[in-house]
Amino acid sequence: MGSRRSRLELIFDILLAIQNKGGRIKPTHLMYKSNLSHKLLNAYLEELIGKELVIIEEVKTKRKQSPTKTVAITEKGLGFLAEFRRMREFTDAFGL
Amino acid sequence: MFRLFFTPGWFRGWDIFFDLIAVVITLLIAAYSWRLYRINHENRLAYFSLAFLLVSAGLLFKSFTSTVLYYTLIRDVAADVLRPVAGAGLSLSGLYYRAAFFLQMLSMLGAWLLLFFVSQKPRARLRKFYEVSQIALFAYLLILISIVSNFKYSVFYLTSSVILGLIALNYYKNYLNTGKKRPAFNVMLSFLFILAGNLALIFIFASNRFYVLGEVLMLIGFLILLFTYQKVTGK
Repeated sequence: MGSRRSRLELIFDILLAIQNKGGRIKPTHLMYKSNLSHKLLNAYLEELIGKELVIIEEVKTKRKQSPTKTVAITEKGLGFLAEFRRMREFTDAFGL
Repeated sequence: MFRLFFTPGWFRGWDIFFDLIAVVITLLIAAYSWRLYRINHENRLAYFSLAFLLVSAGLLFKSFTSTVLYYTLIRDVAADVLRPVAGAGLSLSGLYYRAAFFLQMLSMLGAWLLLFFVSQKPRARLRKFYEVSQIALFAYLLILISIVSNFKYSVFYLTSSVILGLIALNYYKNYLNTGKKRPAFNVMLSFLFILAGNLALIFIFASNRFYVLGEVLMLIGFLILLFTYQKVTGK
């Protein structure tokens, strides 16, 4: 069994899930991809929106009358992902 | 009677230059890991940063001592400053040897020991009380060894080598754990060079060529650390 994810690793997993879906994802999909409960995901999303790492977009689809909410990663969010990868390389190299 | 330094005449100044390069490298790593600690709030990163800061401090003390010992003008100025504190019968050699070398040894041994703890412990274990008590015990031993090393210089390098050997072993395990990744290999290699440098320095009483060899090997070790840092962080 893997060890418990840190707060930063959770944020990384959320952002990575969005990036892997082309930069935009539905909240339900994000919940499954990042392996988080609805309550926890909402708490993290609020924080990420506050820090301008993600934004909520409303997209109109042909099938539905009302617009669908999607979570989109920002440039700042992409920058965070790159920085986190470097951090992980550093901590891995030094066994931290 | 103890000898103050074992540096060959032609190498005086070069060793200070090598040490200052190592100071810059260790400060860079300390600063980056401190930045990570500010983001992550994980204690191991703070300990890691402190360890590299202590290496910098140790090397700075060594550079200062060497500068004072090699260059007469600086030695005279330092003596004038210290005379009011040390008294009229200031023995330059004794004072420098016992004060600056003591600080150098204490910082370096403290740094290696801290690195040993950080490199071997699983996450968050350093937070627990029993680890702190272990560190306190080792801190006591470090002070003791640093005092003894003032009388027998090789004790310091021998102790450093033992701890560095354990650190290199931990980094070898880390290299295997990371799936034999190149940066982990480089970190292990750098500590092997630093270890080899310290091993060479044990034998400086036999020939001052060992001093040159030790300094060069340690510089290579620190340069590999810089290369790894630059590769990993892209800075």
